[in-house]
Amino acid sequence: MVLGMSPEELIRAQAQELRRGTVVLACLALLEEPQYGYALLETLNDAGVSVDGNTLYPLLRRLEKQELLTSEWNTDESRPRKFYRVSPEGSRVRAGLVGEWHDLVASISRLTEEKP
Amino acid sequence: MNANTLTERYVHEVVRRIPTDQRDDVAEELRAVIADTAEARGASEHEVLTEMGDPIRLAARYADRPLALIGPGLYPAYARTLKVLLAGVLPVVVAVSMAVEVLDGGGVGSAIGSGIGALLAVGAQMIAWLTAVFAVVERSRSLDRLFRGTEGWTPDDLPDAPQTEKAAGAGTLASAAFSTLLLALIVWQHVAEPYRTDGDHMPVLDPALWSGWIWPILAGLAGTVLCELVRVAVRRWTVPLAAAYAAAEALFAASLIWVLHKQAFFNPDFLATVNDGKGWTVPDELYTGTILVVLAVGVTEVIGCFRETRKTRG
Repeated sequence: MVLGMSPEELIRAQAQELRRGTVVLACLALLEEPQYGYALLETLNDAGVSVDGNTLYPLLRRLEKQELLTSEWNTDESRPRKFYRVSPEGSRVRAGLVGEWHDLVASISRLTEEKP
Repeated sequence: MNANTLTERYVHEVVRRIPTDQRDDVAEELRAVIADTAEARGASEHEVLTEMGDPIRLAARYADRPLALIGPGLYPAYARTLKVLLAGVLPVVVAVSMAVEVLDGGGVGSAIGSGIGALLAVGAQMIAWLTAVFAVVERSRSLDRLFRGTEGWTPDDLPDAPQTEKAAGAGTLASAAFSTLLLALIVWQHVAEPYRTDGDHMPVLDPALWSGWIWPILAGLAGTVLCELVRVAVRRWTVPLAAAYAAAEALFAASLIWVLHKQAFFNPDFLATVNDGKGWTVPDELYTGTILVVLAVGVTEVIGCFRETRKTRG
């Protein structure tokens, strides 16, 4: 453990670790509707899934490469933007991850229940 | 588009590090993202790029490439191989090169020189090539898979446990005995003047040393013996004990090296009789070689002590 960290700092650091794994699930959930990079970043941060652009943008491309997302350039607006949306394969993966999430929540609740 | 804006320079720094077929697409997306961020937050290009961070890091994420020369997956194999090469193979190479030099008719000095040359040149080559090979493997997926398949760790790879307390104590005792013998020899050759020629007795070492440099040499030697005996008694090296040993060893080695450096080690009369009519003189290389050996032995011993303090504190 890093020396000189207050309990609050430790909680923040550990919470960040916990949330890191949820970014993919959050992306797959949000991209039911097509969305471009910066707008998705804002939506995620507003939803409490804090992620940096330099992590999110490469992640989107990786998910696209894994065929969980599809993308399309939209040139209607003032500047061309790349819109991502979830693929049918991505929807299946999301369903699986949501199941995992519920299992995890249930296990952690059992583990952290107040003992009588 | 102006090619020299901060954004263009940044985008260029990122995309030139990723595969060619993705460059245009990533560049276009980055431009949009940077512009969107600046617009939405009312921030300057400079602020947005600062937040995006080092282009090398971002490019590595886009290319899904490691940001370490040798990553955690390969590091154990790398460290183990390096150890085998440096501790197992290198000494053999050095010994062989020195032996060849001697067989070629070179003197002790040139053999030591050739050994040091081999040590530096071959040692550097081993480190450099091994590192290069592992860095390439780290970056090549197919090679990596091949390597990982064969490089699994098993308990059979465990090195032998460190020597038992008793055996390690025996080593220290032997070292103390050797130092005591050396001490006795120095005193004996001075008092008994064992070297005889035509009924003449003379000491081997320069008698002038006894009014100067022999004392710190003897004191240092005695100090190391004392520390080693304490080590045997308390059954382990403690930090203060190792520090005292280091000080004694430093006193001994520094004084001896100084005397060797001044070439004031041997009794000039002794050298004269040895040389008499043979035209042989002690070569400079012998002094230099001896100095290096004294230095190497001293440093190794001291490092050994400190390493043992760590081990025993566990």
